[in-house]
Amino acid sequence: MRDAYDVIVIGAGHNGLTLGSYLARSGLDVLVLERRHEEGGGLCTEEVTQPGFLHNIHANYHTFVDLAPPVGDLEVRKHGVEYVRPEVQMASIYDDGTALTIHSDLEKTKASMARFSERDAETFGRLHTEAHGYIDLLLGTLMYQPPLSVKELTRALAAFGVEDRSEFLSVKLRRESINQFLDQHFENDKIKAHLAFHGAVCSYTNDVPGLAIGYPLLIGKIDNWHLCVGGSHRLAHALWRDLAQHGGTLVANAGVGRILVEGGRAVGVRLEDGTEIEARKAVASTVSVEQTFLEFLDAESVGEELTQRVKSDVKHKDWTLFSVHLAMNRLPEYEAAAFDPDVNRAWVVNLGYDSTRALDADWATIRSGQLPEPKPNAAVNSLYDPIDAPEGCYTGLLRQFAPFSFADGGAGAWERAGRWYGQRCVDAWTRYAPNLDGGIIEWAVDTPLDITRKLVNMPHGDWMMGEISLDNMLDQRPLPELGEYRTPVTGLYMAGSTQHPHGFITFGPGYNALQVMADDLGIEKWWQQI
Amino acid sequence: MSDIYTADWYEAVRDAINAKVGELPAKAVPEGAWHAVVEIVGDGASPYVGAEDTRRFLVRIENGMCDWYREIDTPNPDVSLDYRFTGPATVFDEIAAAQRDPVDAALDGTVKVRGDMRFLMRQAELVKVLLEAYTTSVDTEWPQGKPPYNGAAG
Amino acid sequence: MGEKMARAYDAIVIGAGHNGLCLAAYLQRAGLSTAVVERRHEEGGGVNTEEPVLPGYRHNMHAQFMEFFDVMPMIRDFGLEEIGLRTVMPEAQAGITFEDGRPPIILHRPDLLDRTHESIARYSKADADLYCELKQRAAKLEMLLATGLYNIPSQETQQQQALALAAVFGDLGISAYHATKTCKVIIDELFETDELRALLYRACVEWGFPVDDWGTAGGFLTFIMWTMANWKLVIGGTHGLAKAMMQACYREGVDLIENSSVERIVVEDGQAVGVVVRGEEIRANRLVASNADLRQTLLDLVGKDELSDLWVKRAEDYRYGPSHVLGTPVFCLYEPPSYRSARWDPEIDRCFYTVVGYDSAADMIRYIRDAYSGRMPEPGAGTWVNTIWDPTQAPPDRHAATGWYFLPVASALSAEEWADVRATFNDRFLEKWQRAAPNMTAGNVIAHRLYTPDQQEQKNLMREGDFSNGEFAPDQLGANRPFPEASNYRTEVAGLYLCGPSAYPGGGVHAACGYNAFKAIAEDLELPSPIDPARGY
Ligand SMILES: Cc1cc2nc3c(=O)[nH]c(=O)nc-3n(C[C@H](O)[C@H](O)[C@H](O)COP(=O)(O)OP(=O)(O)OC[C@H]3O[C@@H](n4cnc5c(N)ncnc54)[C@H](O)[C@@H]3O)c2cc1C
Ligand SMILES: Cc1cc2nc3c(=O)[nH]c(=O)nc-3n(C[C@H](O)[C@H](O)[C@H](O)COP(=O)(O)OP(=O)(O)OC[C@H]3O[C@@H](n4cnc5c(N)ncnc54)[C@H](O)[C@@H]3O)c2cc1C
Repeated sequence: MRDAYDVIVIGAGHNGLTLGSYLARSGLDVLVLERRHEEGGGLCTEEVTQPGFLHNIHANYHTFVDLAPPVGDLEVRKHGVEYVRPEVQMASIYDDGTALTIHSDLEKTKASMARFSERDAETFGRLHTEAHGYIDLLLGTLMYQPPLSVKELTRALAAFGVEDRSEFLSVKLRRESINQFLDQHFENDKIKAHLAFHGAVCSYTNDVPGLAIGYPLLIGKIDNWHLCVGGSHRLAHALWRDLAQHGGTLVANAGVGRILVEGGRAVGVRLEDGTEIEARKAVASTVSVEQTFLEFLDAESVGEELTQRVKSDVKHKDWTLFSVHLAMNRLPEYEAAAFDPDVNRAWVVNLGYDSTRALDADWATIRSGQLPEPKPNAAVNSLYDPIDAPEGCYTGLLRQFAPFSFADGGAGAWERAGRWYGQRCVDAWTRYAPNLDGGIIEWAVDTPLDITRKLVNMPHGDWMMGEISLDNMLDQRPLPELGEYRTPVTGLYMAGSTQHPHGFITFGPGYNALQVMADDLGIEKWWQQI
Repeated sequence: MSDIYTADWYEAVRDAINAKVGELPAKAVPEGAWHAVVEIVGDGASPYVGAEDTRRFLVRIENGMCDWYREIDTPNPDVSLDYRFTGPATVFDEIAAAQRDPVDAALDGTVKVRGDMRFLMRQAELVKVLLEAYTTSVDTEWPQGKPPYNGAAG
Repeated sequence: MGEKMARAYDAIVIGAGHNGLCLAAYLQRAGLSTAVVERRHEEGGGVNTEEPVLPGYRHNMHAQFMEFFDVMPMIRDFGLEEIGLRTVMPEAQAGITFEDGRPPIILHRPDLLDRTHESIARYSKADADLYCELKQRAAKLEMLLATGLYNIPSQETQQQQALALAAVFGDLGISAYHATKTCKVIIDELFETDELRALLYRACVEWGFPVDDWGTAGGFLTFIMWTMANWKLVIGGTHGLAKAMMQACYREGVDLIENSSVERIVVEDGQAVGVVVRGEEIRANRLVASNADLRQTLLDLVGKDELSDLWVKRAEDYRYGPSHVLGTPVFCLYEPPSYRSARWDPEIDRCFYTVVGYDSAADMIRYIRDAYSGRMPEPGAGTWVNTIWDPTQAPPDRHAATGWYFLPVASALSAEEWADVRATFNDRFLEKWQRAAPNMTAGNVIAHRLYTPDQQEQKNLMREGDFSNGEFAPDQLGANRPFPEASNYRTEVAGLYLCGPSAYPGGGVHAACGYNAFKAIAEDLELPSPIDPARGY
């Protein structure tokens, strides 16, 4: 490494790499520092079972493909990323043997829903069509721009009379939960269960007041789930390639320990091993608020008040994910295929939640620090990815909603519970697809504690890097004084998932921080071709 | 009375807009200059734009007022653009004829909006005034027929 | 999905092993648009670091130590240390330790040769004197050996090296004649200490020189004595080298096409003009080079139809293993081992590479002969606790250890037998480890796992688990590698070159196969030579 760069980006997740790439393409001398031995953060693909089985340890579902500007601006596809949009995107299998399937073709989805409720199928059709109409506006307003405040949004909605024009958008969504939204518009429990589950896998927990505000957007992209062929890490490679081909530098195994501040200005970083590197123009942190303000900086440079607020007011998700990665020699054949054969082709299958109440009950269990009876969702990427497993074999993924910390034993208890709970999740899957008995070669677990150990920027296993709730959204995220990507330290920016919009492979935080940095550093916004 | 999409017509639209904006309290009008392109894409139904053609009008707004406009023959004029509004000619015709609401057209995706949404949202009041002026204040002449057109798509 | 455009490059390199990356970087710098096509999702091939068991515990699944670091041209030519490559050179480098708590033998890095002397002298002053003398003199061979490595091999180079033996060691009674011996014979002739012999036999097989093959002893005196205990560790794991190489490639403009196994090399009128990847043809306007193994390259990718009978026969006769066949056990630990032998010399507890589980030279020989002849040996290992020197490779206050078992070739055991080895062998080794280091109890091991040669084969297509992709034996070494007609990196298919370890000098992290392949290509295409006059090669 050299000892000075124009901009130093901390963290090589997709947000850090995205920001770094744009800046490198803008002619700046950029260094991206990564603590792990691999770039990508949540874009992590590893052979944790056997050679040739490519498991996405974290992000598996890419739902902002072609919606997020960086995908095009940074020529992600030219760099080799291949996305597949599975025809049967999702399914729910219910305990009575029935099943619902969400397709890339709306008519098929409606037909599947109509088997449960014709009225709901029609309602869903209208909701989907409406949301598709304004998805670009929503994305432009709510995701790929520095945030507005809820107040500004409400005012604009009122001024444009949106409420009168739309069946589903309304200012009161900001007080409602997804459950309430669903209850107002839908009648069938199973359909509601699936739609609530969909919110939850996107981290919009169905029982949290205010999250209905984001729900139309989720429906607008409900059938935009993409698989990254060869594993999600390929996107990380593409972003790195873009960065380096434009003169930027990624250095892995280089955890940042301090941000160096002189005269109220960020002037560089010190690595955990003591190496100091100068940043001539700016430092951008894509890691947690806690790391940035409590470890990398101190009250002297950011003020006692902010330090205190970071300690007490930064909120994290109250549930997280437990994963099982499987190497398999056969595809699941669900008993529910007798009802709907398409479940065998569904990419992601919700196993067993057949009402919103069942989901709510598990949230309550999880929030009290207990493990729920497993109702994992199962994905077989190999259905749509021709190269993620050896010939004749398949890669499987179970995800289960789970607490980070046990009421009895804390987070550390995962060390003992992991294998046991993994077995129970596998058993649950096998109950719905009995042919899997004997079809599983090997499996490995990734517990909530493992998430935090692998990505130290995700405290509490918080894969969204900050609670998803109305008062932790938009310009209030992660704290009002940090909501616009700038910090009290001049030249220091927050550019990771702690910021608006939030975690997930959205590219949003990095892209939005870029806009603010471009304004401050006088960079011409070549990427905004209007 | 001016024919749709002619210099006269735009002149009239401009005057109408500026008159309305002039009535607004000063603080409702942001300072600064913006450039927007309106792209009217021929759709075979509107007689005002050839089926394969696109007509583009570049508009400059300064301090809320429409400073000038001109028809251009390139999608990328020599100014740095702040907004681009793109939609089928029939839809724009219907908007001008006050038969279709422009906000609806944006919400249902028939008119695509590119540019800084944040600013549009923050200036919702002003935007509404501009749109109203566009749709209702000019006495438009439709020499080749007025929408709804027979057999026009959506 | 968008339509795929027909892609074309000047040069296509098959395989993003470190040799392929090295070649690609030089090609692109010489003005050829270059793509590297790699079947895996990661670059680096054997230069690989993963977290295969628990998050935060890094393990080098293959290569551990970098012994050619100071001579590898790419590191300087592409400023790899400016773009992220960082290393440390542990003080205590290679040691052997014993269950009964006898003194260890520890070879220290070259600037601490007095410590090495002290350590061997606990057993034999004569051996200590001789070892240190040989080591110092071998250092003088560096220029000659490095020049040999980083040039297309010829019979002359080999003769020069044999002659150099006499020049450098002649007054010790060592001459070219010694090169005809086996490694075991020469080690036994030179050193009397059983413990030292055990350690040195092991060093031979690590290099790939079978201890019992006649005509390989020259390698011991030259390459092994030169590189022994000159080892560096890459901060964060060996993969850091691959990353820096990859980044250098990117910065030159190279493309990587990962997750893409080459299915065929397209040959038109005797000229290699492209490759087929998942049904798509990617054109190569000037050349194709292969980092894949010899047989795959010639027989599977080119195909017999495009080859002469002689080349088909040579490829079919080419052998893989039993040299260079390793199993990699990985261990997540609370504490690093603390050895009984440490009461003699605490440095053994900080040693980069520690050989555990052998009581005597005879034990070691039995182990090696078992593994080479396809029998599962009794457990014993070379172990690496890299976190002693680089704490970033495990969570705070934890340790990541990796090891090497020499094992039979992949085909010697059935899939079920290998599964059984994976299920049992580590536990058997751990019993031995605990006898040498009492704190290595079950309670100190948080998790462990074993990767067997059949898996190394699956992972990187290292045939038979042989990381050199070709046995190290006199008929497949030097200017005979992989066979005499192909030893200059060219093949009989115009525009098709070899740049992997099936070519000279073979396995190991030196990037010489890639560098030398570039030299051959540069000659053929009249590109600027990469030779740096100051370096001499
Ligand atoms: C189990 C799981 C499943 C998920 N599934 C999905 C999914 O299917 N779809 C989806 O869209 N999202 C999913 N996510 C969420 C998604 O992975 C994250 O929200 C996303 O990765 C956040 O991106 P980021 O770039 O902001 O941060 P990250 O990807 O976390 O990157 C931050 C980087 O900073 C590094 N870092 C930390 N500390 C330091 C330091 N001191 N110095 C230098 N570097 C440091 C980290 O190692 C990391 O590489 C999942 C997450 C988890 C954990
Ligand atoms: C357990 C173990 C320990 C080792 N320890 C050391 C050590 O400490 N020090 C040292 O110097 N060396 C060591 N080695 C040796 C060293 O790792 C290898 O010799 C070296 O990595 C070989 O490098 P390479 O680039 O030539 O080939 P490889 O690393 O084998 O790379 C070849 C690449 O080609 C790809 N490929 C193959 N076929 C195709 C195809 N059809 N299409 C596309 N891609 C293809 C493979 O996937 C692979 O990535 C060790 C090896 C092993 C296995």
